[in-house]
Amino acid sequence: MDPVAATTLPIPGLLLAGSVAALAASLWLLLPKTSDTVNSRRLGFLFGAAALIGFAATGRSLGGVGADAVFLTVAGISVISGLATIVTRSPVYSAIWFAMALAGVSGVLLVLGAQFLGVATIVVYAGAILVMFLFVLMLAQPSGMAPYDRVSNEPMLAAAAGAVLLGLLTLSIGRLSAAEPPACCRLPSRAQAMAAAPTEGVGSEDDRSATLLAPATAGVERVDADEVAHLGAELFGRHLFAVEVAGVLLLVALVGSIAVVSRGEATETDHRRESR
Amino acid sequence: MNLLPSAATLAALVKIGLLVGGLMTAAAYLVLLERWIAAWVQDRRGPNRVGIPLTKIRLFGLGQPLADGLKIILKEDFTPSGVDRVLYNAAPLVILAASLAIFAAIPFGSVLPPLGIPGLPDPVPFLVAPGLDVGVLWVFALSSIAVYGVLLGGWASNNKYGFLGGLRSSAQLVAYEIPLGLGLLGVVLAAGSLRLDTIMNAQAESGVWYAFAQPLGFIVFMVASFAEAARLPFDLPEAEQELVGGYHTEYSGIKLLLFLVAEFLHMITAAFLIVILFLGGWHLWGVTGSSQEIGWIQALLRFGILSGKILGVIVFFMLVRWSWPRFRFDQLMNLAWKVMLPLGLVNLVTVATVEEFRPQLVAALGPGFAAAVAIALPWIACLVGWLVAGVFTPSGTDNTPILTHDPLDIERELAEHERLERSPRNLSPTLVGSR
Repeated sequence: MDPVAATTLPIPGLLLAGSVAALAASLWLLLPKTSDTVNSRRLGFLFGAAALIGFAATGRSLGGVGADAVFLTVAGISVISGLATIVTRSPVYSAIWFAMALAGVSGVLLVLGAQFLGVATIVVYAGAILVMFLFVLMLAQPSGMAPYDRVSNEPMLAAAAGAVLLGLLTLSIGRLSAAEPPACCRLPSRAQAMAAAPTEGVGSEDDRSATLLAPATAGVERVDADEVAHLGAELFGRHLFAVEVAGVLLLVALVGSIAVVSRGEATETDHRRESR
Repeated sequence: MNLLPSAATLAALVKIGLLVGGLMTAAAYLVLLERWIAAWVQDRRGPNRVGIPLTKIRLFGLGQPLADGLKIILKEDFTPSGVDRVLYNAAPLVILAASLAIFAAIPFGSVLPPLGIPGLPDPVPFLVAPGLDVGVLWVFALSSIAVYGVLLGGWASNNKYGFLGGLRSSAQLVAYEIPLGLGLLGVVLAAGSLRLDTIMNAQAESGVWYAFAQPLGFIVFMVASFAEAARLPFDLPEAEQELVGGYHTEYSGIKLLLFLVAEFLHMITAAFLIVILFLGGWHLWGVTGSSQEIGWIQALLRFGILSGKILGVIVFFMLVRWSWPRFRFDQLMNLAWKVMLPLGLVNLVTVATVEEFRPQLVAALGPGFAAAVAIALPWIACLVGWLVAGVFTPSGTDNTPILTHDPLDIERELAEHERLERSPRNLSPTLVGSR
């Protein structure tokens, strides 16, 4: 990042506004509606590509985006799969695109060195929750659903809200990275990976990606060997109360759902009501 | 920017090549082994004809995998009508890619002594991704991705048997992931690491394999990994008598081959995990030395011992196939949720207690006696847990209906009969569940 940009707002405001507008238009055109035509979808893809380029240019002007090929690949996979998740009409394809997006996010986390979070994302979301989703979707026969079930409810509001949110996030991240020296630009993701544990000796991104493919160098080894232990100590030390509360809430939800389900089944009256 | 790959990257690529080539060959020859063992169990001769092509040399049938592979590759790759083409084609790729990628985190030996190549760490580990700190979780994550292949393959092929197989499979795999994880957690707790090589080294250092230190965890993990690999007592996803071929009913040619190879890879993965986590990995008392000793003899010896153990577990898998009948689906789920899950929890609590109080035990009893107690306690827990499970959960073997009313109440029966006559598709409400 050049020092001039660091003192002023580092994002060209016009570029960002244009990208946000293009994204909103693209989302509105692409979200499944009853009035869709082939041309409107084509236009939507065009706007989407423009928005992607705009955001990429904005990101470049922030200076925080690494030019690492692996990072760009996984980030691109997650962004495009995320878009595809909401614009696909078939629920099963939506779920699969969502799985792809999760895989991309997991890849981003792995590239940034947050191994535990990256793998846990796959185990928890893609492996357990989404499989259940798919299970139910496939049982529900998506091709037989009514048309109004397959279009989005508020395409205009949703598109505008999503685009504005993304613009605001970009803006605030730009302010953050402008306020800090460039060496720290990569620290937030790293710190997030360690659940906000301050760590010394953060390796460069090239080292991180190297650890996945190749034997680690000694310095990286030291940081990584501590990672899960750090995370565990943070979770079950400083955040023990929150973890316990979350556990109790989940248990309550579990018991509650079983109670709701089994109440409908066991009594005689319910069977009569069903048979009527 | 240096575009040439570093020595470390090259080493990783060499390892990947060796591993993939070895695994594929192993899968082909394990099919032959499976057929031999099946023949032996059933008192037949089995495949013993195919030898070197165009000669009359038979070589005990060792050419069989080549002939099988050639045949299945050259078969017509038929796509039935009405399939979802994208997913139909993607499913075999997903399952095979996930099954192979699992091996990035699985060590297939100990370490090579330093080779003296600049840029390579010495000693060189027998592991594709030695920097991966969460090896166990990686294995879990990738094996849960493999479920997608099964589910999508079954759904996309527009076939009710395939669909039922896919649903059964995903329900089974998701259910048995929990006991699998519980069995694993005990080992992770005892070794204090999620890295598979560290877990092996911990067993080699102490000389006590976790199968002896945590017998209950071993049993739970073993049963759950049979279910995860969908091997015979748990092969409901592709029960031939019920579902033709399950999720791969509609597949043929090379796509079917990909599914079958992925299935075999699942079994090999399960065998690797059982050996690494519970049977000491490359360690054998008095033969392999401690993990600090690094030499060519040790490296080869450890590789051989690890491979031998894995082969032993695979042979066990294959013998089990012909020894137990298949479960019914309710029995399968009962076993997962009512037997294996509680037993896994008992194991976890026992291991946690032993590990927590180990320093006090050592201080009070001395190291030798403390180690004996630390092994005896889990065995007691195993015996008690197994007895309680055996006595109190005769679950799912009896599906006679539970009557909610007096069976001699004739008037009620008549009214019920009449109601059923009117709506013949309704199930009788008297059959509300199984015992």
